[in-house]
Amino acid sequence: MSAVLSVENLVLRYPARGLFAPRPDPALRGISLNLGPGETLGLVGESGSGKSSLLRAILGLIPYESGSIRILGEDWRQLSAAGLRRARQGVGVVAQNPFLSLSPRLTVAEILAEPLLARGDRAGPALNGQCAALLSRCGLPPDFLNRRARALSGGQAQRVAIARALALGPRLLILDEPTSALDVSVQAQILNLLADLKAEMGLSMLFVTHNLKVVAHVADRLSVMRRGEIIETGLATDLILAPRESYTRDLLGFGLRKPKALA
Amino acid sequence: MLEIANLSVTLPSRRGPLHVLRRIDLSMAKGQIHGLIGESGCGKTMTAMALLGLLPEGAVVAADRFRFDGDEVAGRVKTLRGRRIALISQDPAAALNPVLTIGRQMDDVIRSHHALPRPERQAKAVDILAATGLPDPQNLLRRYPHQLSGGMQQRVVIAQALATGADFLIADEPTTALDVTVGAQVLRLLRDLVASRGLTVLMITHDMDVVAETCDRATVLYAGISVEEGPVGALLDHPRHPYTQALLAALPDAAPHGARLAAVEGSIPPPTETLPGCAFAARCPHATAACAAPPPLRNAGGQSWSCHLELP
Repeated sequence: MSAVLSVENLVLRYPARGLFAPRPDPALRGISLNLGPGETLGLVGESGSGKSSLLRAILGLIPYESGSIRILGEDWRQLSAAGLRRARQGVGVVAQNPFLSLSPRLTVAEILAEPLLARGDRAGPALNGQCAALLSRCGLPPDFLNRRARALSGGQAQRVAIARALALGPRLLILDEPTSALDVSVQAQILNLLADLKAEMGLSMLFVTHNLKVVAHVADRLSVMRRGEIIETGLATDLILAPRESYTRDLLGFGLRKPKALA
Repeated sequence: MLEIANLSVTLPSRRGPLHVLRRIDLSMAKGQIHGLIGESGCGKTMTAMALLGLLPEGAVVAADRFRFDGDEVAGRVKTLRGRRIALISQDPAAALNPVLTIGRQMDDVIRSHHALPRPERQAKAVDILAATGLPDPQNLLRRYPHQLSGGMQQRVVIAQALATGADFLIADEPTTALDVTVGAQVLRLLRDLVASRGLTVLMITHDMDVVAETCDRATVLYAGISVEEGPVGALLDHPRHPYTQALLAALPDAAPHGARLAAVEGSIPPPTETLPGCAFAARCPHATAACAAPPPLRNAGGQSWSCHLELP
């Protein structure tokens, strides 16, 4: 089966800050990763590790120096404007803070309708029904359609953000710290929801976070990033039991329920 | 060191009184790190604000006992804050002034607490910065906050707290804005300072890993009520209150890989509600008709918790 997302030897360097400033070191130093259909890849790293740069490059928001990124087999840099518009429908994105990513002026119905209307769907009862279906799939009753984002709790708002990301039927869901702004009990609800969606829809997920323990639970495979490189990658269940890198051990060895191998 | 019994704080609002703290019991011994655990809206920060005398205007405070180091807190909050009690907040970048050097910001604190000539104040600043593990403190005095990493900024904030001479620190989510490994270093520093300087720390956090790593004892808050208290080992290994149990069971590493997590359905009762019975009853898997009445306080193995359930 072909990969949903494949990144090969990606090098990304931000431009120098001034005319005579030295060329900065690359933010990504040859990243390679693969994500298969229905697979969840957890990408773990601290601030400055290059997670966000990698995400932005994958989404085509910043140019990269060398290497390649293919999403559902396509290199977005080769696509026409119309082709890119279509290709982007295959990727849904959920950001960390739902209150920043949802417009406070719009109702939930308007938020969910926006991607559908942008695709060219007609407004009407069919579209409203689709919005209600998206919402219920994410565990919220239809009476939430008339609420505004600021009237939602953090967990409810994140469910709306996930529903919006699913609106155009993506094959790949990119999750950027989707539970970091949430309480523990709400985080559990969202992680359960993501597991359900993955099982029902066969979605591939790229789950980016600084919290190894959270992503280790939901991911099939894990990659640990540090200073622009992937320093360790493997099956989540293996990596947690026997991390090779001392940095990974540091991440796992903090707090409650330390893995037995580290105790 | 700190003795709080049945503390309540009510704020006026257009929708009627807001019960932000309903029944807080908190007792802390000198030289300990005591965790205050709970989810957003449970009253962690409000408890700290009550202690710092920084409650919003119009707040009605009532308590059976509210003592700091043996004396009543009421009426002398302003002499405690900054002299005996200092706050370390969540976001060090927000706590520091971006347009003043570290030296100036350290000096502001030292000058307001110690009548010393300038060179001695500077030497004191260097000493205290060094005590927080910051390298080359002399050079640091000329730097601005944005030139420091998050971990270094938080060490500067801790240094400022120490510079006041306070012996009781309130650390409000001190590592939430930091990376895990950096946060671990900051917590180690706090523990070392507690040991070397005899400080007492109230550690406000929602993170059970932080509690497990740093605290001696901890109190779990729910809807403005302290529902369980005990030594950290027992509390985390054998939680007695159903809410503490639910909180620990919802952690991603509590379930086997990929299995469904035990999410607590429902949400915290709003502060507008008065809660005559158990506050957690509406979400509790063990709730019975008895839970409509105030729950009794139970004790076992150094833990205390308020719940109608008998221990099995």
